[in-house]
Amino acid sequence: MPKFVFDAHRLIGPVPFDDLPADPRPEMDRLGIDRACVTHTLSLYSDPREGNDALLRLDDPRLVPVPVVVPGVPGASAPSAPAEVLDWGAPMIRLCPERHRFDLTGPVALRWLAELDLPVAVDLDETSPAQLRTLTERLPGLRVLLLNPGYRRLRALAELMAGAPGVWVEIGTVNTQRGVEWLAERFGAGRLVFGTGAPVADDCGPRFLLDHLDLEPADVELIAAGSLGRLL
Amino acid sequence: MTGDRPQNRAATRGPGEGAAARRPEERAAATRPLLESPVLDAHGHVGTWPDFLIPDPTAEGLVATMDRVGVTAMGISHLLAVGPDAERGNRLAMETAARFPGRFGVWQVHNPHHRTPLVTDGVWGVKLHPDVHQCPLDDPRYEPVWRLGLPVLAHGQTGSPWSDPALFAAVAARHPDVPLLMGHAGLWPYGFDRAARLADGHPNLHLEVCGSRITGRWIARLAAAIGAERVLFGSDACFLDLRTGYGRVALAPLAEPERALIRGGNLARLLGPRLLAPRLAAPAPDRSPHPRRDLP
Repeated sequence: MPKFVFDAHRLIGPVPFDDLPADPRPEMDRLGIDRACVTHTLSLYSDPREGNDALLRLDDPRLVPVPVVVPGVPGASAPSAPAEVLDWGAPMIRLCPERHRFDLTGPVALRWLAELDLPVAVDLDETSPAQLRTLTERLPGLRVLLLNPGYRRLRALAELMAGAPGVWVEIGTVNTQRGVEWLAERFGAGRLVFGTGAPVADDCGPRFLLDHLDLEPADVELIAAGSLGRLL
Repeated sequence: MTGDRPQNRAATRGPGEGAAARRPEERAAATRPLLESPVLDAHGHVGTWPDFLIPDPTAEGLVATMDRVGVTAMGISHLLAVGPDAERGNRLAMETAARFPGRFGVWQVHNPHHRTPLVTDGVWGVKLHPDVHQCPLDDPRYEPVWRLGLPVLAHGQTGSPWSDPALFAAVAARHPDVPLLMGHAGLWPYGFDRAARLADGHPNLHLEVCGSRITGRWIARLAAAIGAERVLFGSDACFLDLRTGYGRVALAPLAEPERALIRGGNLARLLGPRLLAPRLAAPAPDRSPHPRRDLP
């Protein structure tokens, strides 16, 4: 039973395709989740700037802001320059190369990420293992938190983790039988991070899984919060 | 679905009414195995599947996990049976159930193309997978299954030409005496509401809630929509992780009486004495010349 639970991946705000709680805190309370990295839904489903503004107005130490950054040439980016991102003081940023139609391994994104030197959260559906391998080869110091890796690409995920030590993996969707233990045995619990993607994705199952992992307590503590703490 | 039910009645309950709590000792109590009533997993498998790696496809692994979280018994079909060889897969499932008395019931797979022989004793019922077998649920080739009268668990997938929830409603109307479990409750979140509406008018049609896209919140919504007595816990383990599947039910925002129905009470009611049948079953030995690489 972990002492402290830090959800690396939650959303705050409304979504267009369902009636879900806009505020994650009541459900965090109910499920025993102490802190969460949050991205505003407006940044994903509307305007990244507007979502980031709303996110950065939050003043709750339980909610760690993960704003969305859109690297681009002048006039196509959000915000307008990397320096603005650094002014936010956020410990991690989120990139959506598929949704926002930019090249994750193109020269502009590489320049922005080199200048920012911040951990980057990206959904596997927004990229590919090959693209992430290229990204981490071009920026060897970059720390990447891979969101929603799913359970069907465990082989490709393992190959990526083996070749890219700067990649951490969110476990919420690693839900084939003993998939989390399989990754922990190969790459260590220090590369695995508790995260849910709630409320769009499920938080009940991953939260229960966290309490029932067949791992040493120290490894469970890493997955529950320690690995994310190190990543950030 | 009845029009006067609030859409999200269960999901809006206060924090104190859920299964989990904030303090560590309370969390431990909340997620400790719930042994006061049987926990029955309506949808399980053993064996491997070609699409992806399953780190632990064994019955031994499932039993260990069942013991870890407090699942009493699981209904299984062998994934070989869902795939190309239903007869041999069914024999392997029966052998598995016999090796772990009381822990596994068998959903015997019927492949309509192969006209898989069916039995009435020693099984929980029949498993259909219209999508893998590419035969729609309302196809006349399934008639031997409906004539058997046993509970039927079928893969359900919104928008699929083989297993859309509308096909379940049609079959449930045609065979009102056959308990029919819609696997995955239609699978895709955008179809859950419709699946509940389609099931609402057919008392023999039940929603089984395993899947990678469903949430604890959706389970509570489905229970609010058609009544908790029509919603059944399933995990899809070993295809999926049993702990994640059971956790959705264990920690869903449900009142405890509703949770007890979903996590086992409903399936026990549907199966009746059949629930204990695997204890008595004497499986035919697997005489296949093919090596059993998918079971220890």
